Amino acid sequence: MNITVNESVVALAEGSSIEKLLISLDKPLTGSAVAVNQQIISRSKWAEYKICEGDEISLFQAIAGG
Amino acid sequence: MLVNEMHNQDPLLIGDKTFTSRLFTGTGKFSDQATMVAALKASGSELVTMALKRVDMQHKDDDILAPLIKNGMNLLPNTSGARNAKEAIFAAQLAREALQTNWVKLEIHPDPKYLLPDPLETLKAAEALANEGFVVLPYVHADPVLCKHLEAAGCAAVMPLGAPIGSNKGLKTADFLEIIIEQANIPVIVDAGIGSPSHAALAMEMGADAVLVNTAMAVAGNPVAMSAAFAGAVQAGRQAYLAGLAGQVQHAVASSPLTAFLNAG
Repeated sequence: MNITVNESVVALAEGSSIEKLLISLDKPLTGSAVAVNQQIISRSKWAEYKICEGDEISLFQAIAGG
Repeated sequence: MLVNEMHNQDPLLIGDKTFTSRLFTGTGKFSDQATMVAALKASGSELVTMALKRVDMQHKDDDILAPLIKNGMNLLPNTSGARNAKEAIFAAQLAREALQTNWVKLEIHPDPKYLLPDPLETLKAAEALANEGFVVLPYVHADPVLCKHLEAAGCAAVMPLGAPIGSNKGLKTADFLEIIIEQANIPVIVDAGIGSPSHAALAMEMGADAVLVNTAMAVAGNPVAMSAAFAGAVQAGRQAYLAGLAGQVQHAVASSPLTAFLNAG
């Protein structure tokens, strides 16, 4: 299935969780935040939350800042 | 009382945390991560700010978190980039998930040239975030009335500016900072504009509870040495405040006796 992650189209296996998505994208689990269709998904649900065809994923990461 | 004794017996309480260092630091603008970590360690800072950004899918970012956590620093995510209350609330909620902390430095600056905080949107966001259980530290103008409103809204501290972010101009707002400090029942952290250790010391002498410094350390000729200089200045300023500064007068007041010296004998 195809989803979008920060406006990039990404192919992902059916039924993948958010945790699987981050691992497949080689993105860190710590320091990250995820929203699916503008709804923030709590870290505690990443392992069970299933991503659906067409979902728009927003992925955020902690960076240096003042 | 020795300096170290005074330092240890003078903790700063904000929200649910106690700090022995009154120097808070940012993590931006350092030339590389090793310099940043060494500088933050030299500063003695126990609270460091971070930002959040949308991940660039084409690049892999450095892991900035691990060395900060390893060195026992508390993380203070900011809402930089938010232009209104709605965006700032969303940024705070994201930061809570990313960093697993309910602390947030609330900053809303719609104008990229001066990065001055929007007081109306900041108050609106502060009320909402405090109601949601966040420990809110808002970055604001040195506006005493606004700071009282933010206190009433449930903020854990206020962070009035000395001068625009990154300007290094010092305490241009000194007269208003003094009023804020006099009136506040929550900690006052002077943020933005502090460009040298003497600026930091002055803020502490005025009675600020803490200062937040980033640019002046990060872009100094030697960031690590400058961070140590800031640490010393903040301690000195705080000690001077606690010791009670002598008052100023317009005319000279002799420090040595002036009586009958020339006519003696």
